[in-house]
Amino acid sequence: MTEVQFYGKGFPDIERDHLPGRLIVLEGPDGVGRSTQIALLREWLEAEGYAVASSGFRRSELARVGIAKAKEGHTMGALTMALFYAADFADRMQREIIPALRAGFVVLTDRYMYSLFARCIVRGVDPDWVRSVMGFALVPDAVLYLRTTISALLPRVLNSRGFDHWESGMDFLGYSDYYESYIEYQTRMLKVFDELGQEFGFEDVDATQDVHAVFTQLREAVRGVVKELRPGA
Amino acid sequence: MARLPSGQTLPGKLFVVEGIDGSGKSTQLDLLRKWLTSAGYCIAFSEWNSSPIVRATTKRGKKKQLLTPVTFSLIHAADFANRFEQQILPALKAGAIVLADRYVYTAYARDAARGVDPEFVRQVYAFAAIPTVALYFRVSLDESLKRIITGRPKLKWYEAGMDLGLSEDPLESYRLFQGRILREYDRMVDECNLQVIDAMLPIVDQQRIVRDTILPHLEGALRAEASPWRRTVSAEGLSGRYLDMTPATGE
Repeated sequence: MTEVQFYGKGFPDIERDHLPGRLIVLEGPDGVGRSTQIALLREWLEAEGYAVASSGFRRSELARVGIAKAKEGHTMGALTMALFYAADFADRMQREIIPALRAGFVVLTDRYMYSLFARCIVRGVDPDWVRSVMGFALVPDAVLYLRTTISALLPRVLNSRGFDHWESGMDFLGYSDYYESYIEYQTRMLKVFDELGQEFGFEDVDATQDVHAVFTQLREAVRGVVKELRPGA
Repeated sequence: MARLPSGQTLPGKLFVVEGIDGSGKSTQLDLLRKWLTSAGYCIAFSEWNSSPIVRATTKRGKKKQLLTPVTFSLIHAADFANRFEQQILPALKAGAIVLADRYVYTAYARDAARGVDPEFVRQVYAFAAIPTVALYFRVSLDESLKRIITGRPKLKWYEAGMDLGLSEDPLESYRLFQGRILREYDRMVDECNLQVIDAMLPIVDQQRIVRDTILPHLEGALRAEASPWRRTVSAEGLSGRYLDMTPATGE
């Protein structure tokens, strides 16, 4: 990162030291294919000689088990969710992402604070509050947003895991029907993502295309971000 | 009345006890709880670090020493948020008395002692209701150490503030850490409107002051008959041997 910058107050115990790596975020709604693309990008980057680390929601040593259990029991309110995920995110930030950047890695993250913002905002949580809580997040080098539509998303979701309690907003929307709830929830999420994209400068990639077309587009964007890391570049 | 940060008043009453380890606050809250219960009030009780869904994660973080000052702060905030959403707020909306053993001020004090930005911590807890009364049991460092060290097997890593690297010796580290927390509490008295109680006084005297302080705020609090079957039992000459003899306190 040429300029190390946090969205808010950062970490008290981490100096704003030199982080020569690159932080690249893939954002997009549930089921759009982020993890597939990250897997492809990672392999391509490694073939090109870059060291890559990847991270994603609920992968922290600290909080992954606890959040999984809380989701299973459907017991989390919106504030608890925000803070539990914030703890997960801060843990990964301090113990995975920042050390990897310091070592000059390319860090690919599956989602970032924007997904958490979106989930909180649709649930009526005060956006300013969420922002101040997430003030420890580094400003990434790029946010690649996989833009799609509900009609493109639906068959993908039905084909894979089916409707999920949380990804359908069943925890707060009050529908008894998963399908209706899913449509309403994801429609609201896409709208909020649009707004966040404007504010935080997402780079859009049309994810209604086939996997290869999406990959090609992402690869070009990533190439632009990492090229200065090449020796002799 | 308890109040939300938005200014909206809630019909319930929120009484909070604060103080460093060994200040005797839990003892006092327990006595208060029994007194209020026997007076027929509906009581909800919430204790720091006790959320059924977050506690295990905190425990894991402590045991494996995974926690940094920021994640320590956030995981305790998640615990609090869960108890706030599920226990504290609903009870306050219903008009009940909520007794909290430690509240946001514990986080303000401990996290600041760990070097987290105080403004950040206040932002994190910005959703918390403002207590009707927050009692701060002020005790000297030496007295609290005397109370804690006797009869305690071993200080735990985070409890002793070993993560701060203040001293290699757990006891010395604990003393330095508690000293910092104490200073943070003292700094908060005016800012957070904490009612100071001299925790060096005899227990009975402290409890009298606690009750006198709480009493003017009880009007309108929800009451629930503790044992509604009692009259039937005595009127019918029954023993009630098959009833659960612990009073239902609405917890």
